[in-house]
Amino acid sequence: MAGHIPELTPLRSRAVPGVTRLRLVELAGPIAVVVVLTYVVSSLGAASSYLVQGTLAVLVMVLALQVFIGNSGVLSFGQAAFAMVGGFASGLATAPVRIKENLLKDLWEPLKVLEMGIWPSLILAVVVGMVVAFVTGVFLMRLNGLAAGIATFALLMVADNVFFNWKAIGPGPQVLPQVPKFSFVDESLILVIIVIVIVYLVGTSKRGRLLRATREDGLAARALGTSVWRLRVLFFTISGGIAALSGAMYAHHAGAVSVRDFYLGFTFTTLAMLVIGGAGSVWGAVVGTVVVAAIGEVLLRMEQGLTIGDISIVLPNGARGVAIAAALVAMLIWRQRGLTGGKEFSLPQLRKRRGR
Amino acid sequence: MIQTILDALSNGGLYGLAALGIGLVFGVMRLINFAHGELIAIGAYLLVVTVPNVGLPLGLLISVTGTAILALLMEVGVFKRLRYAGPAVLLIASFGVSVFLQRMYEVIFGALPVSAQVAPWMNGVIQFGDTTVTRGTILTIVLALGLLGAMWFFIERTTLGLQIRAASSDFNTARLLGVRSNRVLASAFVASGVLAAAVAFVAVTQRGSVDPLFGINITILALVGTVIGGLGSLQGAAVGGFLVGATISLLNSFLGSYRVYTYTWLFLLVIIVLLVRPGGIFSSKALKERV
Repeated sequence: MAGHIPELTPLRSRAVPGVTRLRLVELAGPIAVVVVLTYVVSSLGAASSYLVQGTLAVLVMVLALQVFIGNSGVLSFGQAAFAMVGGFASGLATAPVRIKENLLKDLWEPLKVLEMGIWPSLILAVVVGMVVAFVTGVFLMRLNGLAAGIATFALLMVADNVFFNWKAIGPGPQVLPQVPKFSFVDESLILVIIVIVIVYLVGTSKRGRLLRATREDGLAARALGTSVWRLRVLFFTISGGIAALSGAMYAHHAGAVSVRDFYLGFTFTTLAMLVIGGAGSVWGAVVGTVVVAAIGEVLLRMEQGLTIGDISIVLPNGARGVAIAAALVAMLIWRQRGLTGGKEFSLPQLRKRRGR
Repeated sequence: MIQTILDALSNGGLYGLAALGIGLVFGVMRLINFAHGELIAIGAYLLVVTVPNVGLPLGLLISVTGTAILALLMEVGVFKRLRYAGPAVLLIASFGVSVFLQRMYEVIFGALPVSAQVAPWMNGVIQFGDTTVTRGTILTIVLALGLLGAMWFFIERTTLGLQIRAASSDFNTARLLGVRSNRVLASAFVASGVLAAAVAFVAVTQRGSVDPLFGINITILALVGTVIGGLGSLQGAAVGGFLVGATISLLNSFLGSYRVYTYTWLFLLVIIVLLVRPGGIFSSKALKERV
């Protein structure tokens, strides 16, 4: 059945947001925006460049959430667990052997002697992330709605508890230092572009559209012979690999990695970015990440004390979190599909002329 | 041995109260309220701030009232506006409210723990032969039993309780039959606020200080209890919370150095329960997703 889906005129009543078929402008738009912003902001100085690199790693995480949550409509709090796995896989594979021998005495022997370059370690992280996501997804993807939300939350708790205490597979409660850093912002940028392309292509693929069909009407999609479970496991696995890449990018950005980098705070921030931008589209993920990161940075500067001309603004610590959380809740109340309404990027003039 | 059992009972009672607070709200509106922890935290903050100035009885009154008001504000300000949203949206929203309040506490009270002796006599000990038990342990058990009894009376024997049960089992039909939905939901939130204040009192006497993340741990574990016990079943929630609290207490006594993995086992258990019985052990029929 799946091989032949006739192109029907879309129903007038409700436009389903999200990518439907491949349009180059929808792909080129977000990439162009990310590239321009990256170079403009990182040209402002070393601190800005560092900030951009961190934001690019976070953007990959938000894209990982988008490819699963956006397409399947199933909530997952567990993706940070895969970022954790990826961050440690990549971090442990690249940190110098002597550091591991001196600091992490309980580490499993093969992990101690492992040492590779940054790029192979990224591939390792993605593979490990996908394997872990597949194995857990096979079970978790049997669940729907609320049960899926809680079970993925439980997954995050298990991952956090295991990594925090089991010193054979990671630094435990310590920080793993001396992870080699990316030299330029370009490396992160290339990875982000690759991920945007993958996420967009996967979303517009046949399976992507089928998965979105299960999101809109699970019963109808099942009646067409779709295996909801199989599709969800597939996308959960892809999302897990991308999340692991994000964790690895974070490790190579910060030069260090620890368990609590990927806990509730990280989960909250990335989920807020996705919801604020609009979970339905790649463009939404990009917009949400950029907007929240920008607002967050401005507020952080204000918390530290910001002087513009004669006016000096000092916000109390915590104001940043208050603003982002309030924005998330407000978005859920008034604009559930986010800033972009879950639509993909489009050029304003073109849309008008087409008269849609 | 007796000491271990009493500790388990006391811990179980504490988590049972927290789980019942979450279960009450879940029952009527299918909302898993992550922000319940922030209700517990405000209760504790109010105690720590007021008790040294106005004494325990008045401080308790302020704490209970303040917590109930905040619970009501949550409902009116956020969740009332999300009446027709799906459970996943509600879950994210409550996560947002939770972080919002945590950061607000950081702004208002600072990130560092605020400490005060709220009820020092609770840490005093009572000797029974060769077992020593703190007064707090005994009081927690008594308080938990008392409040569970009061809640049972409220839910089973009052008109409002009957309406809450009706709304729990079939919200739309209850509305059609004349149950005022907003009043029912508001009262469920207020009741969960009162329970949160009770949990706050016990927890703050045990720990002696409050920080913005004070309520998170209790809430996460109570959530486990609610899920295991059965979402939508009030007795189930209380029993589930009790089991989680008692299990943690027992595991901590018996596991020795492996106790650090308690959470792993607990959350694996949650996943297994959800896979085998997605509605929880004591699941109610009303919760099944309709086709």
